[in-house]
Amino acid sequence: MQEFLQQLVGGLAIGGIFASLALALVLIYNAMGLVNFAQGEMAMLATFVAYALVSQGMSYWIAFPVTLVLAFAGGIGVQRLVIKPVERAPILTLVIITLGLATLVNGLAGFIWGYVPRSFPSPFSSESVDLVGVFVSYRDLGVIAVSGIVLLAVYLLLQRTTVGLTLRAAAHHPEASRLLGVHVSWMLALGWGLASAVGAVSGIMVAPILLLEPNMMQSIIIYAFAAAVLGGIESPPGAVVGGLIVGVTINLAGAYLPFVGGDLQLAVGLAIIIGVLILKPNGLFGRAAVRRV
Amino acid sequence: MALLELEEVRAGYGPTSVLHGIALEVPEGGVVSLLGANGAGKTTTLRAITGGVRWTGDIRFRGHSLRRMATEEIVRRGIAHVPEGRGICTELTVDENLRLGSHLRRDGPEVKKDYDRVFEYFPVLKQRRRLSASTLSGGEQQMLALARAFLMRPKLMLLDEPSLGLAPIIVRSIFEIIRSINETSQVAVLLVEQNARIALDLSMTAYVLEVGRVAVHGAAAELRGDDSVRRSYLGY
Repeated sequence: MQEFLQQLVGGLAIGGIFASLALALVLIYNAMGLVNFAQGEMAMLATFVAYALVSQGMSYWIAFPVTLVLAFAGGIGVQRLVIKPVERAPILTLVIITLGLATLVNGLAGFIWGYVPRSFPSPFSSESVDLVGVFVSYRDLGVIAVSGIVLLAVYLLLQRTTVGLTLRAAAHHPEASRLLGVHVSWMLALGWGLASAVGAVSGIMVAPILLLEPNMMQSIIIYAFAAAVLGGIESPPGAVVGGLIVGVTINLAGAYLPFVGGDLQLAVGLAIIIGVLILKPNGLFGRAAVRRV
Repeated sequence: MALLELEEVRAGYGPTSVLHGIALEVPEGGVVSLLGANGAGKTTTLRAITGGVRWTGDIRFRGHSLRRMATEEIVRRGIAHVPEGRGICTELTVDENLRLGSHLRRDGPEVKKDYDRVFEYFPVLKQRRRLSASTLSGGEQQMLALARAFLMRPKLMLLDEPSLGLAPIIVRSIFEIIRSINETSQVAVLLVEQNARIALDLSMTAYVLEVGRVAVHGAAAELRGDDSVRRSYLGY
């Protein structure tokens, strides 16, 4: 039982990381009906920026918000420079462009920092604390707390502020929003900035676990896809719940299913994607797509 | 100087031209209706005004040309456009839709008064505030669209077929409220309608479009009294 609870907490911690990246995917999907295949690579680049700042001697808790601001600005820059010129292009063109962007960012990080894995600092001690008989590492608790705060902040921004309201309106109803004076194009850029910053959190949180290198996010993005699809791809709360479920599932599968172990966890993530798409294509929180023809 | 002036406006979609040189004026605080059969170019005229379709000629609002202006800039100058299909954000709640109407305003106390008036006009919206706008009936959605436009505190409202698909009794109450908004808040109205009778009752002047041109225009009372105009263009 104790071990089970420990695995559960570990799963929630890794699930919070998936949830952040899945939320980034959902934000962009809502804004343009497109999965941003470069989301993981953008998060990886942001993590390298955090790494560079920390190795310059900046304290972790200053480097963290500075990186998020830079990632936010970078996301806006990508939307303005790369996406906006082709926003009316067919969806397949946009997919290819985000794939190209992923390759480009990956190569850029490799060019600057090389492919040797580097250890990334964690601000949380790796000691464990005894919570009523269950030993939980401070690291897991810290990751859960940071992801929780970030996700809550995004929720409040979207649901409780005027900017959030216009952002949602612009994403779902661009034509109607324009007629209400909403600068739709800038709102989409803001969505990219927000997604980029939220994605950066997942990169920074996962780097101490996986070691930092340009391909670090390539498995995480699969889990994030699984989380987003499970949650219903259009639903921000769905992405969070999906992230936690995927995190717990792969952790428990790794611990209790001998044939899965550490090696086949990614296969579990892919199995979730395929299973959801076959059995419940709208996910847990999604609505059935209805279209008048 | 009229509040809104259209001069030789030509517009279309791709190679298809729909408007072949329209001229019309909406005076400050006036109600003008734009009548005509399906496909005459009524909706396109409204879309040209708020920049939803490319046009040539000139459109001036409060003396300034709207040429090459983006829709959101035109709207911010004081034109509220309730489009065909009402433009309700069905992903959002009733309250959020209303807040989108007032989100650019900085006159807090006045906004609050306007919300009170909106709920006086449309008590049903107050009851349904927290519900998703997608749960509203057609008539309630039309009320929401009108309420949201009112909350923008525009100088001019463009209303595209507010009677479409609604029961006659609801149409009458909606037109009463349009009249009241026009009279008490000095909001000018450019009204596109299929229902010529009810539109002429509300308007001072009217323009009848026929395949992209103004066929007849004049005082609403005159058009209403002219049997030949009525029979050839208005169909009642």
